[in-house]
Amino acid sequence: MKSSRLNMRRSATTQGKTGGRAPSPSAKTRTRSSTRKPARRQSPVASLLLELGTEELPASFLGPALQQLSTLLATTLREQRLNYDSIRTVGTPRRLVVCVDGLVAKQSALQQEVMGPPRSIAYDEQGNPTKAAQGFAGTQGVSVEALQIRETAKGAYVCALKYEPGRTTSVVLTEHLPKVIQQLSFKKSMKWNDSQFRFARPLRWILALYGTRTLRFAIGGVTSGAKTFGHRFLGVPRSKNGVPIIIKNPASYEAAMKRSGVMVDPQERRTVIQDEVRGLAKSVKGTVYAEHHLELLEQAVNTAEWPHAILGSFPPNFLALPQEVLITAMKEHQGYFSLIGKHGVLLPKFITVTNMKLPNMAVIRQGHERVLSARLNDAQYFFREDRKKSLADRVEDLQGITFHQKLGSMHQKVCRLQSFVPRIAEAIGAHELKDVCERAAYLAKADLSTGMVGEFPTLQGVMGREYAKQDGERTEVSEALGEVYLPGSPDGELPRTTLGIVLGLGDRLDTCTAFFFVGMIPSGSEDPLALRRLAYGFVRIIVEKGLRVNVSQLIAEAEQILKSQNVAKSASNDSVVASLVEFLIERLRFFMKTRYGIADDRMDAVLAARPSTVCDCTDLVARMQALHHIAARPEFDALIGGYTRVSRILQKEQWQDDRINQALFEHESERSLFEALETARVSLDTHLVTHDYAGAMTTLLQLKTPIDGFFDGVMVNAPDQAVRANRLSLLGRVNQLFLTLADFSRIQTSMNSCHTNAKE
Amino acid sequence: MTLQDLILSLHQFWSTQHCILTQPYDTEKGAGTFNPSTFLRALGPEPWRAAYIEPCRRPTDGRYGDNPNRLQHFYQYQVVLKPAPSDVQDLYLKSIASLGINPRYHDIQFIQDDWESPTLGAWGLGWEVRLDGMEITQFTYFQEVGGLEVDPVTVELTYGLERIAMYVQEVDHVFDVQWSEGVTYGQLYREAEVQHSTYNFELANVEMIRHTFDANERECQQLLEHDLVIPAYDYCMKTSHLFNLLDARGVISVAERTEYITRVRGLARRCAKAYTAQREGLGFPLLQQDVAQKATKQSPNTRRVRTASRS
Repeated sequence: MKSSRLNMRRSATTQGKTGGRAPSPSAKTRTRSSTRKPARRQSPVASLLLELGTEELPASFLGPALQQLSTLLATTLREQRLNYDSIRTVGTPRRLVVCVDGLVAKQSALQQEVMGPPRSIAYDEQGNPTKAAQGFAGTQGVSVEALQIRETAKGAYVCALKYEPGRTTSVVLTEHLPKVIQQLSFKKSMKWNDSQFRFARPLRWILALYGTRTLRFAIGGVTSGAKTFGHRFLGVPRSKNGVPIIIKNPASYEAAMKRSGVMVDPQERRTVIQDEVRGLAKSVKGTVYAEHHLELLEQAVNTAEWPHAILGSFPPNFLALPQEVLITAMKEHQGYFSLIGKHGVLLPKFITVTNMKLPNMAVIRQGHERVLSARLNDAQYFFREDRKKSLADRVEDLQGITFHQKLGSMHQKVCRLQSFVPRIAEAIGAHELKDVCERAAYLAKADLSTGMVGEFPTLQGVMGREYAKQDGERTEVSEALGEVYLPGSPDGELPRTTLGIVLGLGDRLDTCTAFFFVGMIPSGSEDPLALRRLAYGFVRIIVEKGLRVNVSQLIAEAEQILKSQNVAKSASNDSVVASLVEFLIERLRFFMKTRYGIADDRMDAVLAARPSTVCDCTDLVARMQALHHIAARPEFDALIGGYTRVSRILQKEQWQDDRINQALFEHESERSLFEALETARVSLDTHLVTHDYAGAMTTLLQLKTPIDGFFDGVMVNAPDQAVRANRLSLLGRVNQLFLTLADFSRIQTSMNSCHTNAKE
Repeated sequence: MTLQDLILSLHQFWSTQHCILTQPYDTEKGAGTFNPSTFLRALGPEPWRAAYIEPCRRPTDGRYGDNPNRLQHFYQYQVVLKPAPSDVQDLYLKSIASLGINPRYHDIQFIQDDWESPTLGAWGLGWEVRLDGMEITQFTYFQEVGGLEVDPVTVELTYGLERIAMYVQEVDHVFDVQWSEGVTYGQLYREAEVQHSTYNFELANVEMIRHTFDANERECQQLLEHDLVIPAYDYCMKTSHLFNLLDARGVISVAERTEYITRVRGLARRCAKAYTAQREGLGFPLLQQDVAQKATKQSPNTRRVRTASRS
């Protein structure tokens, strides 16, 4: 804290550089904050407290708004040369609060020298100021007489001395806090009165104190003051809702709010909720369902001013519904935590976080239980209605559901999947799945027409699985239907069954190909169809399951199927395969970078050596990892040094490439390199057959000595043209051998960057 | 407290808040927002305060009388306040207290709810108000209605009467709610729920409804051409209900759905525009009246705000 304070002070003193037209002498001499009498005592400090009282903000808005408030205020304080020790935000659904401690009482004064035009232009021969001088003085707000002359390396220039005295912090804040508030932005904002001011929800009061002083300003139809309001219904004294609390100074704020039933610090609320939830779960020998835990926790933290968790139950007969249905209904409708008991079975219990604490919570609990029971009753209704028709009988209904305007109905998509998914099974060598594949593809989208998925879209797939099970479909098929949409999030769980993998890959690749085919390619931040997410899931499945498959080939097949449906291809995208492969490779790079920390140049090297007709993600990953590991070895940099030299010479020189003629060798080092190459090639081939890229890379390392020896032993540019060509061809062989693994010239090492510097 | 007591209490409460107790509108509709008392009155600068009960039809929500709180026909209690008072949340909570629900003994939460009606070309921000987990009210600051910016902002409070009654009477099924002393909701409406559900889901004549939709749309357009905006809006409401019927019948595809919604919205927008123009032509009569009233009794409250904003 101490050091940041010092930094803050220092940076504040160098504020306010104003650009003159003249070349500037060092900034230090131009601008300095001056306490005119250097010995003056440091100005006193106090805390700033700003609380924006609102009607209930959406839960997801609180965090970002506090973040913004802190950043905006910090920027303002810096710009206004107001030094402080620390800045902290807290908040609840009804208040955004920022507190600045150790804030000085006065701005530091600003003395500035602003350079103007050269003296020769500013004054005429008689020494009278010209228009240039008058203009400059005018813009700087000083009199022409006050202009001074500064000698610089480039000659004499006019300069204006400006002095801005420090204003008191209260004055500056009164002027600037409304601007800070004005700048807060939200995903969605609204108007509520005739001030035309926009905010996430109506702003109702502003508490603004600097020390014990109340800051008064108006914004959005609200005038700031020393008043705030406590919890709507809690708090001591149990004053009536709507009776304000007066805060005398910032230090007493948190305690006063706590007495009024408000825990202003989100972290405190989080801890309270976590402890209570954990305790309640434990009391029924359960644990909180993990997948939604954090999301629900954050929601609760940002919904209550005084959180208090309670445990409730629902009638156990609802447990006959699929577990996911119950969990989803509790989460989506009510924001309840589900509890899992022994053996991963759902308990007929829930936890909810209230914004109320009473000695007896029974009435509130019963209320929540009754609501949930009605909700689950509805889920049960959908389930029963859906069962009136088998999943297979629903496939025809998909004709009425549009996949996309340009791509026809969901039924058409299913037809494509029926052709495409078996091809994927074949490509990954799962020949035994050919029959079930088509059935799974046929049923893959049927649950979209069910009432349950209509009510809870996130249950797509899960409902397919449950209904298929009840219809007596084969187990592989029903399990696969439950896995089509996995992974559901960037780090989500992958499908486990082979059929699920095949189906998931087919669905994703068909969607991506189809949209690329009709020219709907994501660009920049625009990705309304979430194709990046789909493509990322696709890449993850391939790579994490270690599947060897040529994706280029699969895309070409998906494209053929689209053509057979007479889908109109977009004119703008000639090569669907090439552009989609590139798109997938971008996702692959992102995966490798985040998952394994592989550096860009390593990936560039491997990708540059990729044959244009093949995209085998798993193979690319193996190469990247091998390169990543080998690059960590000490001898690697030296090898790259040698190789870079080889590739540079080859790029520069012209010669007739030919077989190596051993008879033209003049030096032992040429033969050594030649023989080392022969040995390396054999070794490399063996490794490549088994995809042992680590072994292959190690083989290359053994070429370091012969390459270095070659350069030490001979001059490539021999006077005899035949000898020269032979040497260049030999280097050509070195290059070819390296390129079978990666384009090593793209790798950045300390060695080759030094090399570059030395040469150029 | 019987359901009719609830209605009377709300009437009493909002009546003292200077709301006009307008009445339900005699056209089928999915929500009280469709009532001209809200949809049309939210438009333009004229002040408006009204409270009314509104019967609503939502064919897709029918459950053949099986669900404890989903019905295809139910009642909303609707309050419209324009401009939105700055203490509207407190007013609302007082109205709840007037029903015997003391907020100090319950868990009342305002949960974000971004309301949108694609058929009305309307949206607003606000909350669903939950009483011990049960959604009892939709609370919305209208931002746009019929594609037009709402200025001054109108606030709409929509109480779910059945749910509140269930809560107050501590019953688990809507049909057990006492409508009046000795008469239950089930006795009044169970049979209607069964019959309407059967009609909505199974027997509604799709061809007839499609044709009627087209005919009503034409009628609305025809009336708009004659500047008969109020009857025109009736036909706009009718198309919305017919679309809901088709939706419940499960006969419209996603693409068709969008198209139907666009058609209804088109009518709603034209009605909104025409209505605003008409009121303007009349010199916004309610605005004149409001100005006159304010001139006669300048409230101390207003004066204080003025001084404050000058500082």
